Amino acid sequence: MFVLKRLGSALPTLFAVSLLVFLFVDLIPGDPAQILAGPTASNEEIESIRKFLGLNEPLLTRYGQFLRGIWDPSAATSFRTHRPVVVELSERLPNTLIVSIGGLALGLVVGTIAGIVCAMRPGGLADAAITVLTLAGISMPIYWLGLLCIWLFAVNLGWLPAAGASTPAHFVLPILVIATRPAAMFSRLVATSLLETMGKDYLDTARAKGLSETRVVLFHALRNSLIAAVSVAGVQFGGMLGGSVVTETVFGIPGVGRLLVDAVSRADYPVIQYAILMFAFFFVVINLVTDLLTQWLDPRTRDQERAI
Amino acid sequence: MRNLRRSCYVAALSVGVSIMALQVQAQPAGTLRIAVGADPATFDPAFNDLPVGNAVDLAVMEGLFRLDPQNNVQKNLATDYAFSPDGKVFTVKIRTGRKFSNGDPLNAEAVAASFNRMLDEKTGSIYRGLYASLGTIKAVGEDTVEFHLAEPNGHILMLLSNTAASIVNVKALQAMGAEYGRKPVGSGPYMVEKFIGGEGFRLVPNPSYSGDYPATLKAIDFTVVPEDGSRMALLETGSVDVVERVPPESMPAINALKDAKVINPPSMFSINMEMVLRGPLADPRVRKALNLAIDREGITKGILGGLGTPSVGMVGPGTQDELRKTFPPIAFDPEGAKKLLAEAGYKPGQLTLSFTCPTGRYIKDSQVCQALAGSFEDIGIKATPIVVDRGTWTKVVGMEPAQRTDNMGIVGRATAGMDYTLYRLFFTGVGANRTGYTNPRVDALLKEGRAATDPAKQKEIYGEIQNIVWSDQPFLFLWYQTQALGVANRVQGLAIQPNETLVFDKVTLK
Repeated sequence: MFVLKRLGSALPTLFAVSLLVFLFVDLIPGDPAQILAGPTASNEEIESIRKFLGLNEPLLTRYGQFLRGIWDPSAATSFRTHRPVVVELSERLPNTLIVSIGGLALGLVVGTIAGIVCAMRPGGLADAAITVLTLAGISMPIYWLGLLCIWLFAVNLGWLPAAGASTPAHFVLPILVIATRPAAMFSRLVATSLLETMGKDYLDTARAKGLSETRVVLFHALRNSLIAAVSVAGVQFGGMLGGSVVTETVFGIPGVGRLLVDAVSRADYPVIQYAILMFAFFFVVINLVTDLLTQWLDPRTRDQERAI
Repeated sequence: MRNLRRSCYVAALSVGVSIMALQVQAQPAGTLRIAVGADPATFDPAFNDLPVGNAVDLAVMEGLFRLDPQNNVQKNLATDYAFSPDGKVFTVKIRTGRKFSNGDPLNAEAVAASFNRMLDEKTGSIYRGLYASLGTIKAVGEDTVEFHLAEPNGHILMLLSNTAASIVNVKALQAMGAEYGRKPVGSGPYMVEKFIGGEGFRLVPNPSYSGDYPATLKAIDFTVVPEDGSRMALLETGSVDVVERVPPESMPAINALKDAKVINPPSMFSINMEMVLRGPLADPRVRKALNLAIDREGITKGILGGLGTPSVGMVGPGTQDELRKTFPPIAFDPEGAKKLLAEAGYKPGQLTLSFTCPTGRYIKDSQVCQALAGSFEDIGIKATPIVVDRGTWTKVVGMEPAQRTDNMGIVGRATAGMDYTLYRLFFTGVGANRTGYTNPRVDALLKEGRAATDPAKQKEIYGEIQNIVWSDQPFLFLWYQTQALGVANRVQGLAIQPNETLVFDKVTLK
């Protein structure tokens, strides 16, 4: 029931996004036909290309065409390649997902471990070191960190390829770099919420049962801390899809983010519109999944749902 | 005796070397790896607008004619050509027995179909306007193609040797649809083996090629890396042999490498501030003053890091050098400029000018704009640089002169020859004349030059046009871009055309 209700509320959101994306992209300065035709084209030539691209149709007709393109791939083709946008997107999506999911998973694991270490000995040497690294991880722009990593691991040490996406080794650096932000976020989050729960009475009960401290932390304290972490992970994942624009450009990975950048600079309207719509769709799905996970982890929210 | 022995060695060595050379020619060897900055979305010559796409089209397809690395026209598929006496029909004889890489015959009919497809309005080609003067194309028998020109055009060779005029296999194109843009079927020495969108693509020899430029490499691997720093890192780590577009700040680092160097071939790309000829800029003294106010040497050395040379003529090097005219460099003379402004009736601070610049379109474009504003301030002009994104800039510089609210805009031009460039920019009222330039003498000469087929006559006509334009100064002439590529020492024989197209004809690897 809850799922259905959430899905029902997602549809208007997506509709609003489709309208906004369509209108905003239409407001981008510059005429796609003029950009395609080049600076030496005459007005008549630009007009002929505009007609060919269907840009002279009324706004409503073009919006209808845009909506039709969601289920009819042949109605939505790239201005530059003339291939269906869905083909362009599906070709690039796996790379984006590998980097985002890989980065998030790695960040989650590293961050949780670091958070536990900090919480076990607050104020210790490890805590101090991790806090400094965390601050660095949160404040360093991914773009700059990426270039630094290329300089160190590819140019100086020669361990990993600098850019490209032809072998699995090409994905190591981008995943490492993109994992820094979630790792930093999670270590802070897990550390604070663990410290908060550590003093709770139910943990004393667990200890009194004779459980080892590791068991107490991992199975009793951590589970409660994860509730907050899951919602943050959802937001982080969404942010990573958006951040792919930067990472993919730095590391030369052919993902959706790069496709979007290229499309914006060449005024390839259909690609921009559908790529953003797809990102919005992912955001909605991620929010839904986060909510479901939270419910599963925290029975209290389920009761509230029933009460309503 | 010793000399004799030495000459024996030399003889033996040279025989050996020439045998090796023969083998190299006979058998493609080695893989050339190239990192490019721009992602070629399509290789379809009717839509490609990137130098890397030109390089692929040149390797994968053939045109009737082609350009050598100095942009001189050479025959390719064509064996002979002639104009009809009235100049309205251009006839080309082509080689017989040639085939596309998929086995389809490349005959006169296929050539005509390729051109007619590009000129068809339904194709939506971005080059239809450029080639509109070709009119209709007919095949006569197996080996003769007739161009029934829409208007007499003495510059047709230049048009036909551009990679946009490469012969596509229309039959294969109809079957493949948009996929043709990724794996075009042509008749050139190479063919596209694979294409991974945004990541890269690979060219391999076309086994059925029988022309004059056989493949010398077993494969050419292209990787697309838009970020400058990452792309340079690929050359530094030895992962690629050639990198495109070395930024000025990376040149010393590349030159310091043991096994790679930066090469700086000239570019035909000519960058100018194009004026809107009305208000204060309708006065030739003001235009002259602006031209004198600029330290071109300083800009090209200090801001562009050497990747530019001060302009000495309207069109850049490589734009039909046989017709091109150059002049002594424009002096840097702020005092003279001030005097001219005073003559024109402007006291210091009285004249206000604004100019539009793109950001990220040309090397260091927005920095150059600030420098130009400074130079104008120095001669007492209130200058406002308007630095805008690429889309807005395209819109502004593409406006009719009457609609413009600014006074000038930076535009780079590299186009398909003298006639096309000058006619489009300076003929009165033509759609792409964005300065509003009008000069009856230039109009008459441009018309005459377009119809003229005799090279000597053309030289005379275009010489005069270039004289007039250079002295009228409808532009603030700035610089010609210089290319910068990082090339590993193992790469031999790589040539680069002035339009930034890589030519693989004679490339071998050590």
